[in-house]
Amino acid sequence: MTPVLAAEEGFWATAYPVLPHPGELLIGTICFAVLLFVAYRTVVPRLETMLAQRQAAIQGGMEKAEKAQAEAEAALEEYRAQLADARAEAARIREEARSEGAKIIAEMRDRASSEAERITESAGRQVEAERLAAVTSLRTELGGLATQLAGRIVGEALTDSARQSRIVERFLTELEQSSPEDVRASATTVEPTTSAAPAGPSSGGAHRVP
Amino acid sequence: MIALPASAGFTPPSPADFWQPLIGDGAFAVTRPMVVMVLTTAAICLVLVLATKKLSLVPSRGQWALEGVYGLVRNSVGRDIIGAARVRPYIGFLFAIFTLVLVNNLMGITPVVQYPTFSRIGFPIVLAIAVWLVYIAAHVRHNGVGGTLKHLVPPGLPFAAVPVVFVLELLTFLVIRPLTLALRLFGNMFAGHMLLLLFALGGEYMLLHGGFPLNVVALPTFLIYFFLTAFEILISFLQAYVFVLLTSLYIAEVYAGDH
Amino acid sequence: MDGITGSLGIVGYGLSAIGPGVGVGLIFAAYVSGVARQPEARGMLQTIAILGFVLCEQFAIFGIALAFVFGGL
Repeated sequence: MTPVLAAEEGFWATAYPVLPHPGELLIGTICFAVLLFVAYRTVVPRLETMLAQRQAAIQGGMEKAEKAQAEAEAALEEYRAQLADARAEAARIREEARSEGAKIIAEMRDRASSEAERITESAGRQVEAERLAAVTSLRTELGGLATQLAGRIVGEALTDSARQSRIVERFLTELEQSSPEDVRASATTVEPTTSAAPAGPSSGGAHRVP
Repeated sequence: MIALPASAGFTPPSPADFWQPLIGDGAFAVTRPMVVMVLTTAAICLVLVLATKKLSLVPSRGQWALEGVYGLVRNSVGRDIIGAARVRPYIGFLFAIFTLVLVNNLMGITPVVQYPTFSRIGFPIVLAIAVWLVYIAAHVRHNGVGGTLKHLVPPGLPFAAVPVVFVLELLTFLVIRPLTLALRLFGNMFAGHMLLLLFALGGEYMLLHGGFPLNVVALPTFLIYFFLTAFEILISFLQAYVFVLLTSLYIAEVYAGDH
Repeated sequence: MDGITGSLGIVGYGLSAIGPGVGVGLIFAAYVSGVARQPEARGMLQTIAILGFVLCEQFAIFGIALAFVFGGL
């Protein structure tokens, strides 16, 4: 406290600082009242309205988000189901294709084997026909040659056709009987697949060439 | 105040420095804190009204700051202490106190203004009386006069102690609470500003008039001054917060017997 | 002008500030250890600590007010 200053400035300068100044009390009251009025009239209602709206918006947004999530989950589920369907379909198709392929292969194999059989059969038949032709021509030629040769040796003309054929027949029979086993063995080696061909040993054997 | 040795012509700051009449002199003189008070109130009202004019759900930067202050009063103080169901009628009251105290405290370190309005006891007394009226009115309206008086004595007290406790509690309820509210705010602002004045004036005096050894000390003095200024910002917030905290505690007591 | 002149009230205030100083220190020590033990209780403890701080500090503040009141005596 400086009494000198106090004397110069009057009562309120030296008054205890805890003594309220009436003017300041008045101004303080008025200012606080004005601020209270503004706060209750304008500021708080506006802010509260905004906060309520925001809360509503947040809740609405959350609901929306929840809905969107549910939708997304449903879509995902559907997509998964479709995917599973597609996978099953693909597996089924693959299985089908595999079995079909196996069937086709078996069929092809069947067809190929029958074809091969057919080819070998026809080849066998052709060979038989050619052999028959060869045997026939050989027989004629051989008979001719043999009779000619025999006639020349014997010196008698074997012109008589009946006798001539008889001689040839006999000759061939003798020839066959001399080695029947050799003939059969050779016949089997020539035609292995056709079992039906050498059925008649006597009739077939008659045409065999040694 | 302890005077410096006689050789120094330094006049330390005194409570008289807080008496700054601008127009007139006496009980109704227009003083500097009055002007500061009126200007800050006008500024707060203007800012609040303009800032809340266009509120959007997604806040801008300014609105975000306003909402921060409002949320502190509304949620951290009001809702947590008084309770969400009861706080609505008091929000405006608490918010007005908080903004007024905070802005006026910060005026103490605002350049040019540099006058903490609440270092004049008149202003804190107004706020304290307002709080006093509000909590007494709330008590009487909610509990009745008898209920309020009964509420003062905690249950389960030995019979002999009841009158003593009752008198003490009544004294606390009617006198000590508003007194401490007002004195706390006043004392903090007054002492804080006095310290700032002391270091500013002392530093200046030592720098300009102190001669060789003293004007070297002026530098740490100014450093302390800046440190104290920062501390004063903290105190400003703390006192505003504490004022609304205690106010809501007193109000919350009204509804303490409900559950 | 010999010796020191001034107000004994300020000396009294200095003495009266010891108690609140110790009290405030204790309050914040308890607050710090409480937060260290249970960091999640920080918000609640903060309010209580500030309340305690204020209730303790007010005696120092009364001291400064009374120092000025009786300082002139």
